[in-house]
Amino acid sequence: MIRWFLFALGLLLAAGVQHAGGQADPNGYLFYVASESEDEVTLLRFMPDSGLAKVKVIPVGGLPAEIEAPHGIFMDPDGVHWYLTLGHGFPFGTLLKYATEMDTVVGNVALGMFPATVAVPPFGGLAFAVNSDFHGDMVPSTVSIVEVDEMIELARTETCTMPHGSRFSPDGMKHYSACMMDDQLVEIDLRSFAVARRLDLVTGQPPAHHASGVAHQMREQTCSPTWVAPSPDGAALYVTCNRGDEVVEVDAMDLAITRRFPAPNGPYNAAVTPNGQLLVVTQKGSGAVSIFDLGSGERLALIPTIRKVTHGVVVSPDNRYAFITVEGIGGEPGTVEVIDLQTRQRVASAEVGKQAGGIAFWKRG
Amino acid sequence: MKTHRLLVVPAILALTASGATAQTGMRIEVTPASMTLSVGDTASVTARVIDASGNAVDAPLLFFSSSRRRLDVDRETGRVEAIKGGEYTINVRVLTNRDVRVEIPVSVAYPPVSDVAFDAPGERFYVGAAVRHVATVRDQADDERPDVRLAWSTDDPTIASVDRHGVLTAHRTGAVTLTATAQGVTRSHEYRVVENPVRTLTLSATQDSGRTGDVIRFTGRALDSRGQVVDDVPMQFSLVADPEDSTRTQFPAAEIDQQGRFVANQAGVYTVLATAPGHIARHTVEISRRHVTQEVEFIGHGAVREVNTSDLWIWEGVDGRDYAVTGTHSAHGVAYFWDVTDPASIVMVDSVKVDARTVNDVKISEDGRIAVISREGASNRRNGLVILDVSNPRDVQVISRYDEELTGGVHNVFISNNHIFAVNNGRRYDIINIEDPTNPHRVGRFELDTPGHGVHDVWVVDGIAYSSNWADGVVLVDVGNGVAGGSPAHPVQFAQYRDYTGRNHAAFPYQSPTGRFYIIMGDEMGAPSFDGEPDNAPQRMSGYFHVVDFTDPLNPEEVARFDVPEAGSHNLWIEDDRLYVAYYNGGVRVVDISGELKGNLYYQGREVARYKAYDPNGVVANAPFSWGPQPYKGHLFFAEYNSGLWAVKLLPRDQVLTP
Repeated sequence: MIRWFLFALGLLLAAGVQHAGGQADPNGYLFYVASESEDEVTLLRFMPDSGLAKVKVIPVGGLPAEIEAPHGIFMDPDGVHWYLTLGHGFPFGTLLKYATEMDTVVGNVALGMFPATVAVPPFGGLAFAVNSDFHGDMVPSTVSIVEVDEMIELARTETCTMPHGSRFSPDGMKHYSACMMDDQLVEIDLRSFAVARRLDLVTGQPPAHHASGVAHQMREQTCSPTWVAPSPDGAALYVTCNRGDEVVEVDAMDLAITRRFPAPNGPYNAAVTPNGQLLVVTQKGSGAVSIFDLGSGERLALIPTIRKVTHGVVVSPDNRYAFITVEGIGGEPGTVEVIDLQTRQRVASAEVGKQAGGIAFWKRG
Repeated sequence: MKTHRLLVVPAILALTASGATAQTGMRIEVTPASMTLSVGDTASVTARVIDASGNAVDAPLLFFSSSRRRLDVDRETGRVEAIKGGEYTINVRVLTNRDVRVEIPVSVAYPPVSDVAFDAPGERFYVGAAVRHVATVRDQADDERPDVRLAWSTDDPTIASVDRHGVLTAHRTGAVTLTATAQGVTRSHEYRVVENPVRTLTLSATQDSGRTGDVIRFTGRALDSRGQVVDDVPMQFSLVADPEDSTRTQFPAAEIDQQGRFVANQAGVYTVLATAPGHIARHTVEISRRHVTQEVEFIGHGAVREVNTSDLWIWEGVDGRDYAVTGTHSAHGVAYFWDVTDPASIVMVDSVKVDARTVNDVKISEDGRIAVISREGASNRRNGLVILDVSNPRDVQVISRYDEELTGGVHNVFISNNHIFAVNNGRRYDIINIEDPTNPHRVGRFELDTPGHGVHDVWVVDGIAYSSNWADGVVLVDVGNGVAGGSPAHPVQFAQYRDYTGRNHAAFPYQSPTGRFYIIMGDEMGAPSFDGEPDNAPQRMSGYFHVVDFTDPLNPEEVARFDVPEAGSHNLWIEDDRLYVAYYNGGVRVVDISGELKGNLYYQGREVARYKAYDPNGVVANAPFSWGPQPYKGHLFFAEYNSGLWAVKLLPRDQVLTP
């Protein structure tokens, strides 16, 4: 009920204005994009008046003839560091810490098998990286918890098979990830670093199976969740069911499903606008971006991307723009696209390294 | 487990991160401010958060250790357990405020020494003999303790004295006890010093002259007054070098080990000395230059300039013509097929495109009809491999795709006897039956069980799989040879040599005509870049090839290396006593590996030829970055990361290139 009250309040506050934010920042927006099959990160700047441009290309990894697979990327709230997971190692992946001043590595720590998404709570100091182990056996994997000022791994919390997506509640006290092979949403308590609750995203109940990957293979109806995006007020969680072709809205307090939004063709990543009004979802299967009105649940727009395999999304703090990564196929370059959330049109794009995936907003200006 | 026995620094100290004080006024009070523990001790850190007014604040705390496997700290309670000796830090911070934190220095005393051990060469020691003893010290945690001071002594230095390095020298007959002491723990050995029976000492060599790189074995022979061999007399080898060019001092002119194996890096005259108590024997050998270099002639180039090239394979097609296949790296998922019958005119005849970004490896079956290519970077993340019909390399057809449990990407493959050996997700290799290539199916799998194991490559010869496993080194597995009862469905490991560099990347077996069986292992190591380099600067690598003598597979010995200091090792091939190596930015190298091998082959003049493939229109212009070599029908083909497929030819030694 509280969530609905807050939502209604938000609607009232937003009355008379469009869904998305107001004036675009003329000083522009800076963000980083990781290109998994190019072993590079690109810093881009979007200027509303002049478009999208690459500021810098940052090679990552130490072996030019091996793909080390930069996947997840996240800005530290301090604004002077960013974190990057490298999926491939010998065999374990790595979390790298970069300083924005020169975009040089200032720390690293070994993680588990194929670490993918990484997130930092709003107060900083910690990073949670899901060890997705995309290609290992169907056995439960972990979330690595790292103290990022010392770059020390504090714990590996076992969650489920092929965990993916990593985001914190707005207060930073709960961490959410999804289980691609177990159809689960998993909540980790920040104080204990332990799994606090689980939700079966198909049945809407606590899962019958703990986390083995077996349930997924035996089910006719599956979700295969790939992402979880908390609402700005922390009341709701939005989980993309990549195979279930829907977005599941979960009440964060009760960890109960409240709505399901049809989202055909493989919804993959998602982000809620800071004002809580819109949900932007990448549609990996169709090569498109969906924009949902969180009030009505209606899909307001389906915007095709230039290339296929749409991947990541972040929204600017002023609610105005969504920045999208598109992997592309084979030898195609990766693409970054900018969608104006007022006009619901693509307003800029730029090519980056192959398999553009992880994306992190840095700052305005 | 003992209860805590810590030294508390007097008083409760309020340690505060200055930044935190400035911003929030909060600080953390901890007790104690420092700790001194012993291994096995437990203790607790007490902490509370204080605001600017001195009031306690209910804020969650996080405790953690700078090295949790050596000093375990419970992150919620601050309970500490000392596991290993050393100097550590306990960090205490507010969970939700990274700036409010303190550090507690912790000194964990190493446990007392529990054992001292050293090997002694028997009980009899000869007057005049001098032998070094090496001791190992271990503590109560069973950790080796090289840091502990070790003292050597004898109970009668007039009979035998010992120096601080453990060198025992016998002066007269009698009983003497040699003792090593560490922290009061001793280990002793009683010797009986007897008269030296040696009356004559001779030294022989397997040859009196040779070339640089030749291994000459020296044998000392000590005889007593009756002409009987004294086989327990300690004997040491050393040498006096008189190299041809003494100004080349960047590496030693020659070396000899204590098994009497000598090898020279430079031409010259070398006198080997064998010493036994009271006797010295000399033997001089003359070493000439190896003179194996050959000039290399460029023959042909199949250019790939849009994308990076990966591995290659050359084979004779069923039509009798010669073909090559090359992969592509970080690109568009294409394998190229070439007619190389005339290496001076390499012609691309077909290509196959699959859903991948890297086709890292390409292999052809023994009968030349089947190809397998690896896939990485598939758009749907289902990678695996693709089996091709290359009966007509001008019209290559996809027979089947196989990605079952291979979705992580197949980095390297090999085909042997109707089976594909596919490196799976860098963790293991799967063995896939392709008797019916339209219906590939897994029959076996091999995976190590060591912590953090991985595998990079696998090569199969005569039913033995030689896999390269980073720190686990090269592993020999019977996959049908029978030496260990293995088969494709039941692979059986029977030998291994670990790699202390941790970078074993490729391996190739070599049965030498000398009777010795070597495996040559290549590293893959990055090289640091430097600030200010342009984005498209030529790449560099480091690492070298290790030569391991596997003649006794249960006791392999690393005996030699080929180490080009300015470049890095990659793939290799061995044929007819020649080692062909791709040395990344060092180009391709051909190395004479005839005879016994010892030392650094690079220093010995064993390098026969080198070729750097410069292509001004390459992906990176004029940047040799050699990926893999393959000698074939008198030519050397090799794949260049920046420019495609190349063919060169080594000219006879009496022939030189003329402008």
